[in-house]
Amino acid sequence: MTTSNPASGTRHAARAARRAAGPAPAVGPDSTSGESPTRSVPVIAEGLETPAGGRRRRGPSERNRPLWMLIPGGVLMVIVIIVPLLLGIYMSFLDLDQYTLRQWIEAPFIGVANYIEAVSQTNLFHGVWLSVSYSFIATVIAMPIGIAAAVATQNAFKGRALVRSVFLIPYVLPSFVVATVWRTMFQPGSIIDKAFHVFGADPGLFLNGPNTYWTLVFVQIWASWPFIYLLALAGLQAVDHEVHEAAALDGALWWKKLRYVVFPYLRGPISLAFIIGMLNHINNFTLPFVLFGIPAPHDVELLPVLTYVTSFQSFRFGLSAAMAVVSLILIAIPLFIYLRVVKLDDAEQGGRK
Amino acid sequence: MRFGTKASLAAIATAAALALSACGSGSSSSSSSGAVNGAGKTLDVLVGVNTAYPQQQKQWMSDTAAKFQQQTGATLKFETFTSANEELTRIQTSVVSGQGPDVYALGTTFTPTAYSTGAFKVLSDSDWSKIGGKDRFNQAALGISGPDQSHLIGVPFASRPFVMAYNKTLLQAAGIDKPATSWDDLATQAKKLTDPAKGQYGMAIAYKDNFDPWKYIWGMSVQAGNPLVDGKTAKLDDPTVKTAYSTYFGWLTKDKVVNPASVGWTNSQALADFASGKDAYFLMTSSGSIPTLDKSALKDQWDYALMPTVAPGQTSDKAGSNSAASILSGDNLVVANYSKNQDLAFAYINLVTSKDEQLNYQKIFGDLPANADALASLDSAPHMAALTQAAKESKATPFTGAWSDIQLDLLNVVVQSIPDLSSGNVSDSSLNSRISDAQNKAQQSLNRAK
Repeated sequence: MTTSNPASGTRHAARAARRAAGPAPAVGPDSTSGESPTRSVPVIAEGLETPAGGRRRRGPSERNRPLWMLIPGGVLMVIVIIVPLLLGIYMSFLDLDQYTLRQWIEAPFIGVANYIEAVSQTNLFHGVWLSVSYSFIATVIAMPIGIAAAVATQNAFKGRALVRSVFLIPYVLPSFVVATVWRTMFQPGSIIDKAFHVFGADPGLFLNGPNTYWTLVFVQIWASWPFIYLLALAGLQAVDHEVHEAAALDGALWWKKLRYVVFPYLRGPISLAFIIGMLNHINNFTLPFVLFGIPAPHDVELLPVLTYVTSFQSFRFGLSAAMAVVSLILIAIPLFIYLRVVKLDDAEQGGRK
Repeated sequence: MRFGTKASLAAIATAAALALSACGSGSSSSSSSGAVNGAGKTLDVLVGVNTAYPQQQKQWMSDTAAKFQQQTGATLKFETFTSANEELTRIQTSVVSGQGPDVYALGTTFTPTAYSTGAFKVLSDSDWSKIGGKDRFNQAALGISGPDQSHLIGVPFASRPFVMAYNKTLLQAAGIDKPATSWDDLATQAKKLTDPAKGQYGMAIAYKDNFDPWKYIWGMSVQAGNPLVDGKTAKLDDPTVKTAYSTYFGWLTKDKVVNPASVGWTNSQALADFASGKDAYFLMTSSGSIPTLDKSALKDQWDYALMPTVAPGQTSDKAGSNSAASILSGDNLVVANYSKNQDLAFAYINLVTSKDEQLNYQKIFGDLPANADALASLDSAPHMAALTQAAKESKATPFTGAWSDIQLDLLNVVVQSIPDLSSGNVSDSSLNSRISDAQNKAQQSLNRAK
């Protein structure tokens, strides 16, 4: 949040509201002017966990904790997540294909050959680039749509329940159905094609060639904006009634109220929605598979499709495991940076947003 | 692997399942002789869901289970898969874990891949005698049961040979008395039959189908004497392959005998267009289209014919011993090596490949019998002449584990060419580069084949 002048009024409002709401603000009015007011709210536990000195002092709640009670959960974690992950990594070093699958433990160990092939002879980077870029575009466009829908249905009006239910339809429909319906509509000579021709435009093919990328982005947005909408709605519910009241008392109009009072509350849920949305899109296999079929047109040879073809059409399980590991690394790095930057993994997010 | 893909997840989950199930259990086959006594046992059979006849299939399953129980005393349990993908996953899981269905119904093109896993039983002479001997079956249908006559894993169960349907009225109106038997003649006839002003086209072709395109390319190449795979060498860079592609694309770009919208058609859409009477020929169809056509406006005005067997630019069929009127297509039954009920499995196969059962199956689902007697008895049934002939003149795709890859490479050339096709010109240079790309990939797959 910037420190521009119009903000100060609403900041007062927010602060007043917070005072009314409960926990006392520990940060003085003049410090942290660059931070949004809501973010400066310290949760009491935070002070104990991250003292300025750097050396951790164990608070009373951290002493003598029965950590052994975590063992069942820990074991499950290891079995469900770590073991398959390690198996996957191990597989990526094997020459595992249809000929060796039956006794896969005995499949020849070929070191990094799969990785070399994945990097040099497959369309892996092309696939990663397509997956990440399409996911990013779809998520960024879906975001304002979802937020706008959430804000529009925030206040009660007649028929709101109906509108909210209608908004959820694309999210509730199985991916398979969504893709089938859109594939039918995008056929050459089908309804969308004809609509373009009414306006004298010849868009070309939607399900083959360069347009496929944008077809995919479009359908993905259609299918996934309700997810952003849901999380934004949840975020809006968390805005205390008093905050609205206080802002209104200070004379903030709708845009300023939205921009400086409501949006800061949404920051957490939206950052979360962004990352979950991105990952969902990157992992989405059904949509491109049903829309475009196998083999996919070059412009939508996404990562999941590529791995699917390698695994289940060519039966190169070792190679596809190597591809999965490489793409895991490629995607995990920006993800890690993102998580650091938006501090989604901070303890303070756990409490009050 | 959270950020990987579902596919790899599935593969890994499979592997994990194995690790956790402590390598399954050792298999031992029962050693009974004569009539199989399966009282108290259960035979597990995996078959594909028949989406066109779901009710009939349930009925067929319970009827068959009743007969099986009567014969052997054993319970017959059917499991189903809904897609090729699910079938693959089931097979892979079972192959890795060593447990699962006893008998699988496999598509013919998948049989070489299944063979290469080594998870299915190679039938010995005594196994064959349990199911009535090899002579019981249409010999052409055995073409893809194994790499050679002494290593067969697949028992032919149903045939779906490919033929072409034609519109008698349109052909008559154009003064054509017999469907073409060479691809060149077919194009010539199609030109006569095309009248874009009336929305009438010579052929209905499904360019966007996920299977059709490679069958044309394979067929035309084989008919020109190039089986695409020669031992360990891929021959996609042979001129015959390029001719096949050029002919296939040329119907739309040069001859202009197909509806331009067909670049977006799957096989069923092409069928629907043909059924509405707008096309003279509909290629690459099977007996499964009979119900649709008989219910359509074309009722009584259509019939099947063999697809041309003379390659483009050729004067005679060069496919060799068995002319390639169709790819060998249908279902094979295979018995899992790990099965503890192998005798029961053969008893089941014996039951369902008997003449009566095969004819009954044909009546319900339309798939042609693999049983030779049953097939012969159908010759005179309506629309059956061309189908039974095609079943006998089917040729198997190369029996190599690399075939599923090669098939995909062939198809990929068409998929990537569709934008060009739609704009009316597939340039020589881009076609060349796509074919050489396919050749390289096919060769790589063959190099890996063991």
